[in-house]
Amino acid sequence: MAEMKDRYDGLVIGGGIAGMQAALDLAGQGFQVLLVERQPSIGGVMVGLNKVFPTLDCSSCICTPRMAEVAHHQRITLLTYTEVQKVEPLNPGFRIGLLKKPRYVVETDCIGCSLCELACDVYVPHEFDQGLGARRAIYIPHANAIPQVAVLDPEFCVFDGNCAKVCPRDCIDFTQQAEGRTVDVGAVIVASGLQITPMGAKKEYGGDKYVNVMNPLAMERVQSSNGPYGHVLRPSDGKVPKSVAYVQCAGSRDASIGVPYCSRVCCMYALKQAIMIKHQLHDTEVTIYHMDIRAFGKGYEQFYRRAMAEGIRVVKAKVAKITETKNRDLIVRVELIDEGGRVADVQHELVVLSQGLIPAWHPADVIPIGEARDGFFEVPELATLPARSTCDGIFLAGVATGPKDIPDAIVEAGAAAMEAAMYLDRTRVGQTAATGSGHRA
Amino acid sequence: MNETKRLQWREALRVFRERMGGLTDAKKSYLKSDREARKAVREALRFGPKTIPELTQQLNLPGEKVTWYVMGLKRYGEIIEAGQAGEYFRYALKESER
Repeated sequence: MAEMKDRYDGLVIGGGIAGMQAALDLAGQGFQVLLVERQPSIGGVMVGLNKVFPTLDCSSCICTPRMAEVAHHQRITLLTYTEVQKVEPLNPGFRIGLLKKPRYVVETDCIGCSLCELACDVYVPHEFDQGLGARRAIYIPHANAIPQVAVLDPEFCVFDGNCAKVCPRDCIDFTQQAEGRTVDVGAVIVASGLQITPMGAKKEYGGDKYVNVMNPLAMERVQSSNGPYGHVLRPSDGKVPKSVAYVQCAGSRDASIGVPYCSRVCCMYALKQAIMIKHQLHDTEVTIYHMDIRAFGKGYEQFYRRAMAEGIRVVKAKVAKITETKNRDLIVRVELIDEGGRVADVQHELVVLSQGLIPAWHPADVIPIGEARDGFFEVPELATLPARSTCDGIFLAGVATGPKDIPDAIVEAGAAAMEAAMYLDRTRVGQTAATGSGHRA
Repeated sequence: MNETKRLQWREALRVFRERMGGLTDAKKSYLKSDREARKAVREALRFGPKTIPELTQQLNLPGEKVTWYVMGLKRYGEIIEAGQAGEYFRYALKESER
């Protein structure tokens, strides 16, 4: 990884798949790039998925090579566990205020041995496993984390020093504090990614009430071989579920919860997860309740037909509400569209709400770009210049502009990198310490 | 770790603890219940493998909490899967933990 400098050609905000691709595409053209990620590891949402659609490739198997490439690139400086506090236009270029949060571990010395984690005696819900698994107060973010460096969570630290006692490199540093930094950059690419609609948004579905009503990212972790359970089990009692239901449009296409748009990927990820359940649990019945199946991309229609051929029940129905029985099964009340609107109560052992995608970052006073009505960043010329924001020199990639699948996020990242490169050439702000001439190294 | 380094990090830990507001009552309560729950799961498994519903019946904890602790202890190598009973897996203490 390149050493930290005072000036870069490009700043990429967000270390998910779109941010990593944008950084690689920009650095590949000879520019010096700073990639800033607020989590302790890059990889974004994609590194936590089980498989991708429609190819059913292992998600982390195709994401981790990019993570490694970013970490080792001679023209990319990676700053994790860091937040962007201010993007100030200099016309041309920008002055960036950063806040590096303390890991309480010396990153350059830590070898990721996990001895500190094993010595810590506090169990904490693991965010990477959507709370279904446990970590310790000091922990390696996950098996594929880059950097593979521990981070201490002071909210759960009990100050017993066990981690420091066992660290073979003496790299636990309790004196670390949050560190402000300022860098100047030529162009900015925002790839701030997504979060899913909160589980409690639609009260009728009991997403924040019933433990066997799961969020789709939790189901991804449950299906993963390195997930919290090792098998597809339901959280309330570890039972292998015999009947699983997916509720489509649970967190999208619903003005009452503030998400009126379609989130584009939910039909496909539900089909993907349903197929994976059938592959792991041959006797389990999987039902997808949908308003309409949106299978728009290359190979997507075939994937949908494959799911039905593999025995997934795809039922056109609107789910009105979900309630829980005494043994923690769920009763799903549906209006069956293809049966004249007949209302039925169907019992399932596990329900997954196909939650929608909402923006992960609302940086109101941080960055001078506009937000559209849907909460994603505004793209003034969406049809012809989809990577440009409302501010010259700031470009957008991935879900920062709206819900999209992984291929589209990668394509948009390339477009943003190209736009940023053209901007740097046009304004001659592409001057780094290495070149000093306005041309690439 | 040599004595100088040991004294240095102990002093740093003391300052860190003060800066973070010390061991609050909420933290103490969380830690107590966390350790008690893990101890209870280990004790319940000392006399043979059990499913999560069997553990839940024995312990004074909600089922999802028992699942969470069992999976956490499994992750950190203290318990292992020990066969199936119908639609439930059985869990047992790892031999070295008995």
